[in-house]
Amino acid sequence: MKNYLKSLALISAFILLSGGLFLYSGLYPMGADTPHNQLTYWLLETLRERSIARAASDLEIPNDLNSSDRLLAGGADYNDMCTGCHLKPGKTQSDFSIGLYPVPPNLTLTVDRHDPEHADSTGSDNETIKRQFWIIKHGIKASGMPAWGSGHDDERIWNMVAFIQQLPTLSPEQYQILSARRNNNGGHH
Amino acid sequence: MKTKTLTFAMALSTLAFTLSAQAHDPKEHMKDAKAPECAAMKDMDHSKMDMDDPVMQAMMKQCMKDMHGDDTGEEESHEDHEKESDTHNSEHQH
Repeated sequence: MKNYLKSLALISAFILLSGGLFLYSGLYPMGADTPHNQLTYWLLETLRERSIARAASDLEIPNDLNSSDRLLAGGADYNDMCTGCHLKPGKTQSDFSIGLYPVPPNLTLTVDRHDPEHADSTGSDNETIKRQFWIIKHGIKASGMPAWGSGHDDERIWNMVAFIQQLPTLSPEQYQILSARRNNNGGHH
Repeated sequence: MKTKTLTFAMALSTLAFTLSAQAHDPKEHMKDAKAPECAAMKDMDHSKMDMDDPVMQAMMKQCMKDMHGDDTGEEESHEDHEKESDTHNSEHQH
């Protein structure tokens, strides 16, 4: 038993020391133009998805999420704040969508096309909606996604979620009309 | 000294928070705002539109003024209708 504990302590110390050496060696490529290896990617992806799913599970989706007023308010904000990375109908790439890593999802595509792994894992529209709200409000560490909740109230963020839900169905002409900002759709609901 | 530093830090953070809130005010975006191009809606076949569709409802709301003229025009047309009906009434009376 003593030998067993001794071996376990030695192995643990070796792993910690190796990890520390690797960390300080600077060998891991940190540039956004070099993708993570599969293990790191899986670890980060799992960490992110489990964290968001847990944190977003208690959110309550407003009953009027499909209202036209929310679409108009959310469309204008989406156009001002999101298109650079998440694109708009008729646009397939931007400097941000090409250069960021992880690649920001193209929200003009349906969830099963821009994020097939996530769509398969949940299979629930409500979970997707809650997830989108949470991500817009809190952002994601080290991904380029900011936490918009610091300058935008929950209603305004739900408006954006409402718009994102309809975005894959919009033509460029419809998008232009819905995302234009008039005096009466200035982000309030 | 500590109180001064604390007061300065608080004032600075309040200022930063206020400025950041202003930066995200929708009114700030109005400078670059583009008007909706509602001409595309005029060419659509209105009989085929699903009026229960929130996208269609939102487009109608956004383009209502453009499709029926601006506010002044709308008021004028109502006035015109009233004038027309008055004229018809007076003609009938004669």
